[in-house]
Amino acid sequence: MITLSEYFMTILITCMIVNLGLALYGVFFKPNLIKKIIALTILGDTANTFALIIGYRMWVAGVPSRPPVFTEWRSNNPLLLFVFTKTAVDPLPQALVLTAIVIGLAVTLFLVFLTLQAWKIYRSVDMRDIRRLKG
Amino acid sequence: MAWNIPELITGAVVPLLAVFAFTLPLLAKVFGEKKFPGIWALIASVVAAVMSTYIFTVVWGTGKDIVYGFGGWPPPIGISYEVDPFNAVIAVFTAWVMVLITIYSLWYNRHFDEPEWYYILLIGLEAGMLGCLYTGDAFNLFVMIEVLGISAYALVAYHKNRGEAIEAAIKYGIIGATATTLYFIGLVIIYGVYGTLNMGQLSLLNTEIYYQRPDLIASIGVATLLAVSLALWVFTYKSALFPNHFWLPDAHPEAPTPVSAALSGLVVNIGVYAVARFMYTIFGPASTIAPYYRDAVLTALFIMGFAGAFIGAIMMRAQKDLKRLLAYSTVSHTGLLYMALAIGMSGVPQAAVALGLAAMTYHVLTHGLGKALLFMSSGVFIDSAETRDLDGLAGVGRKYPLVSASFIIGFLSLMGLLPLGGFFSKLMLYQAFMDAGMLIPALAVIVVSAISVLGYAKAMYSVVFATPTREHRVIRLHGIHYMLALMAVGLILLGVLYPWISQGLVHVANSSLIGPGVREYQEAFVRAFHALLGR
Repeated sequence: MITLSEYFMTILITCMIVNLGLALYGVFFKPNLIKKIIALTILGDTANTFALIIGYRMWVAGVPSRPPVFTEWRSNNPLLLFVFTKTAVDPLPQALVLTAIVIGLAVTLFLVFLTLQAWKIYRSVDMRDIRRLKG
Repeated sequence: MAWNIPELITGAVVPLLAVFAFTLPLLAKVFGEKKFPGIWALIASVVAAVMSTYIFTVVWGTGKDIVYGFGGWPPPIGISYEVDPFNAVIAVFTAWVMVLITIYSLWYNRHFDEPEWYYILLIGLEAGMLGCLYTGDAFNLFVMIEVLGISAYALVAYHKNRGEAIEAAIKYGIIGATATTLYFIGLVIIYGVYGTLNMGQLSLLNTEIYYQRPDLIASIGVATLLAVSLALWVFTYKSALFPNHFWLPDAHPEAPTPVSAALSGLVVNIGVYAVARFMYTIFGPASTIAPYYRDAVLTALFIMGFAGAFIGAIMMRAQKDLKRLLAYSTVSHTGLLYMALAIGMSGVPQAAVALGLAAMTYHVLTHGLGKALLFMSSGVFIDSAETRDLDGLAGVGRKYPLVSASFIIGFLSLMGLLPLGGFFSKLMLYQAFMDAGMLIPALAVIVVSAISVLGYAKAMYSVVFATPTREHRVIRLHGIHYMLALMAVGLILLGVLYPWISQGLVHVANSSLIGPGVREYQEAFVRAFHALLGR
C-alpha cells in the first residue's frame, strides 16, 4: 500500500518521462514550426519540473516541507535553524529554474520571430516547404 | 577587504561588455551617425582584449589561478569565475580576434541597414564567449552558452528578409535550444548527485570520492555518465562535431561575413574548451566516471572527431560555394581538435596527454586565426564578384594581390605547409599520438590532411589562379587588406615561433588540465572559499 504523496510523486515522474519523450519527438519530427516551438517549451517545462523535484524534500512523518525562507532568525535559537534545515526545500534548484524560465522566454520569443519571418517570406510554417538549403 | 585588481578585472569583463552592448542603442540614437555603433563596438572589444591580456599575464606570471566570487559570496554559494592558463590563453586569442572582426565589420558596414542591432549582437557574442571561458560554475556556463547561442542565432538571421538566412537560423536555433535544455537536465542530475555546481568543488569532490570512497563510485558513476553525456551534446553542437555539424554549412553562407569568421574561428573553440574542461578538470582521470565510462566517452568523441574530420575533408571537394567550402573545412578541423582532445584515455603516459592537449590548443590558435583570415578575405572577393560561386569567382583574386597573398597563406596554413602554424600544430598532434602509442590516430591525421588538400587546392585555384571569365568590379578596400596581411603574418609567426609556443602550450596544458594543474584549480577554489568566508 503506497501513501498518497508517493502516489502523486509516481504520477508526476511518469508524466515527466513521457513528456520528455514526446517533446523530443515533437522537436525533431514534427514538420510544423509552431509545433516544434511548443514541443521545445514542453521540454523546457519538463526540465524545470525535474529540477524542482531534485530540490524537493519529502514529507517526513506527515509534516509538510516548508518554503526555504527562514523567518525566525531574530530569536537566535540554533534548534529552530536545525529544524529549518531538516524541513525546508532546497532553494537553489528554484533559482536555477527561475533563470531557465527567463532564458526560455527569450529563446522562444526569438524562435517565434523567426517563424513569423518565415511565414512572411514563404507563406508557410511547414519545414517541408522551407527548404532552399542543402543541409 | 583589500581590493584585488586581477580578481576584479576577471569579474568585470563580461558585465562591462553587457553594459557596452545595452547602452549602444540609446547612444546610437543620440549620435545618429551610421559609423558610431561600429566604433563603440570596437572600443568595447579593445577594452575586453586589453583586460583579458592583463588577466593572462597575471595568471601566467604568478602560476596561480584567479578566482572571483560575484557579490563577495564564497565560490560554492555564489557564482564564481575561475581563470587558469588554459582558458586565459583561449580568451586572449578570442578577444583579439574579435577586435579584428570588429574592424572588419566597420569595413563591411555598408551591408548593414541597421548597424546598431548588429553590433549589440556582436558584443553579446563576445560577452557570451568570454563568459563561457572564464566561468567557474557549471550553471553559469549554461547561461553563457545561451547568451552566446541567442547572439549567434540572431546574427545568422541578420539579413532577415532573405529566406535562406531565416531557414539556417531556424535549424540552428531550434536544435541548439533543445541541446541547451538537455544540458540543463544534465546539470540538475549533477546537482542531485554532488550537491554543487561549482566546477572547482565538483573536481574536488570527484577526486575525494575516487581516492577515499571507492565504494560510492559504482552508484554515482552511472548517473554522472548520463549527466556528462547530456552535457557533451550541447558542447559538440556548438563546435559542430560530426553528427551535429549540419547547421554550420547552412549558417555560414547566409550569415554576414564577419559573423562567419567569428562562428568558424571562435565559437567552435568554445565547445572544444568546454568539453576539455569537463573531461579533464571536472571529470578527469581521478573521478567517478573513470576509468571505463570516461574511456568510452573519449573513444566516442574520438570516433566522431575522426568521422567529422574525414567527411568534412571529402565534402569540401564537392562544394561550389566558397563559404560552404570553408564551412566544411571547419567541420574537418573541429574533428581534428576532438581527436586531439580524446588522447587522455587511461594508460596513456601523462607527457603524451600534455603534448596532445598542447597540440589541441595550438590547433585552436592556428585554425581560428587561419579560418577568420580566410572568411574575411573571401568576403572581399565575394563583394567584388557579387557571387559566392567558385566559377563566378574565377580569377577575382588577381585584382587584390595583397588580399590574395593572405588568402593563400591562410589556406596553406590550414593545409599544413611547412613554415606556417598549421603544419606545426598538426606535427605536434602526430607526435603526441605517436608518443601515446596510438599509431592509427596518428596516421588518420595525415590521411585527413591529405584528403583536404584537394578541396583547398580547388578553392585557391579558382579564386586566384584561374583565368577570369568576366570583368569584376573593383571595390575600395579602405586599408582592410593591411589587416588581412597582418593576420597572415600572424600565421607565419605562429609557425616560426614554434619552439617557444609549443613549450608554452605544454606548460599551459600541464598547469591547467592534468595532474598538478587540476590540483591547482581545486586549491584555488578552496583558497577563494576561505578568503571570502574568513573576512
